[in-house]
Amino acid sequence: MDATLTSRGTDLATLSLVEAAAAVADGSVTSLALTEACLDRIARHDLGLNTVIWTEAETALEAARKADRARAAGEALGPLHGVPMAHKDMYYQAGRLSTCGSAIRADFRPDYTATVIERLEAAGAITFAGLNMAEFAQNPTGHNRHFGDCLNPWNGDFITGGSSSGSGAAVAARFTFMALGSDTGGSIRLPASCCGVTGLKPTQGRVSRYGAMPLSFSCDNVGPLTRSARDCARVMRVMAGPDPRDRTAAQVPVPDYEAKLDGDLRGTRIGIPDTWFMEDVDEPIMAATEAALAVLQARGATLVRLTLPMIEDVAAYSAILGRCEAAAIHAQWMRERPHDYAIHLSARLFPPLGIPAPYYIEAQSRRGPILRAFAKEVFGAVDLLATPTIPMRIPTRLETDIDAGTPGAVERFMGVSRNTRLLNYLGLPAISVPCGFDDRGLPVGLQLIGRPFGEGRVLHAADALQCDTDWHERMPDLA
Amino acid sequence: MGASMTGDPKDLAVETAQGWFGVAPPNDAALEFAADLRQTVEAFEALRGRLRFEDEPVDFEAALLAYREAE
Repeated sequence: MDATLTSRGTDLATLSLVEAAAAVADGSVTSLALTEACLDRIARHDLGLNTVIWTEAETALEAARKADRARAAGEALGPLHGVPMAHKDMYYQAGRLSTCGSAIRADFRPDYTATVIERLEAAGAITFAGLNMAEFAQNPTGHNRHFGDCLNPWNGDFITGGSSSGSGAAVAARFTFMALGSDTGGSIRLPASCCGVTGLKPTQGRVSRYGAMPLSFSCDNVGPLTRSARDCARVMRVMAGPDPRDRTAAQVPVPDYEAKLDGDLRGTRIGIPDTWFMEDVDEPIMAATEAALAVLQARGATLVRLTLPMIEDVAAYSAILGRCEAAAIHAQWMRERPHDYAIHLSARLFPPLGIPAPYYIEAQSRRGPILRAFAKEVFGAVDLLATPTIPMRIPTRLETDIDAGTPGAVERFMGVSRNTRLLNYLGLPAISVPCGFDDRGLPVGLQLIGRPFGEGRVLHAADALQCDTDWHERMPDLA
Repeated sequence: MGASMTGDPKDLAVETAQGWFGVAPPNDAALEFAADLRQTVEAFEALRGRLRFEDEPVDFEAALLAYREAE
């Protein structure tokens, strides 16, 4: 066992994904030991967090033994060989449960497998669990009436962020080396921010959505939550790229993101918006954001204050696009099984049924021209944008509990995703990376936004931040 | 409110959901969210006059590719 492993103690689950993959590849650790470590940690701590909906331990352990035999036999190893992973419970795997966090699909077992799962497993990953999530991926807080709320590992009174609640919490708790999330209005970045992990929403079309539960075909994105930007880069190389089974997956080559992580930001211009994203930011969030920007500046980046164009347009149109599509998808069940939805979900699905179709079509038809105008002006001036992922201090689960009738819950509920949902309308890649803690000891996330298919530059800047900070390495005390 | 709209968006949403989709308001929170449709109407109305006929391709995916990062 090398120095990297011994420096973290004996709990192999605390390794990063890249470290774990390297340890399996060089034989210092077995895949079986990694898988047992994750399962053991879940057994010891998940009762207090509720991150996991199902596990298939024996299947995973057998897959790990097979991975170890393959290495011993000298077979070619993929970049994720022998690394166990758990994912948001909405990625279809033939014959396996996929509840989508719902009562309606509590027993759903699809007969085909998502492209992204196939790609991760082809690279050597082992899927061992399905993780808690917001019902049908439709809330920004992580509340779940059917499987119970997933608790924030840093403080269970507070939201995990949603909808990939279990993914954020499980990565933070070191239950898994990586977890898939999905992001339609912030559902990867919000739990990443709340739980103190790294989460990337790729460019619209960067990753195939075949076999991922749909919410909004215009705004859904598949992406990873990991311990670090480097881990994120490793899995994105595997996940991204065209897919003949998903015509919306872009025909754009996938670079080696990890190879370009050198921590050098000289020549990189980072824009700080003076509108929308920086309005009404709570003081501890602003302080952590400014400290992170100073780190990026020290790494060579130039900070540029700028006014973003057409933000009112983006805000108006982004407010209805995904909601109308979600309402259309769920209209049948809303009619036939309204009481099988949580109150907050059926409440959100209802109003878009009354939005006139021309409004929706206007939002769709303006999307291209607005992106052109936005990208031309913004990315003519800067290479990246930086904002707080969540402008407010994280609210409690009670403060945002619409089902409980908490006064003001609707406003707080919607406020959580204020800084994330606009990027889904624009289709831009955005990452949330840990940048500190607030005055209550809860994580704060910095959002870095790139131009289309600029995941490499986004990851490069996030990794540079993590070269000089250790926020991403801090672990919640689960005891 | 737009000059052309005389009814309450919440009431119109209730009528449309019931009449066109057979979906009744599932709870009071749904009506609270529906009341926010007024803001949606106001936001759209605020954009009137800024829209224009688009001669260039309006395809969103084409715009993504046109402004993509050179990796």
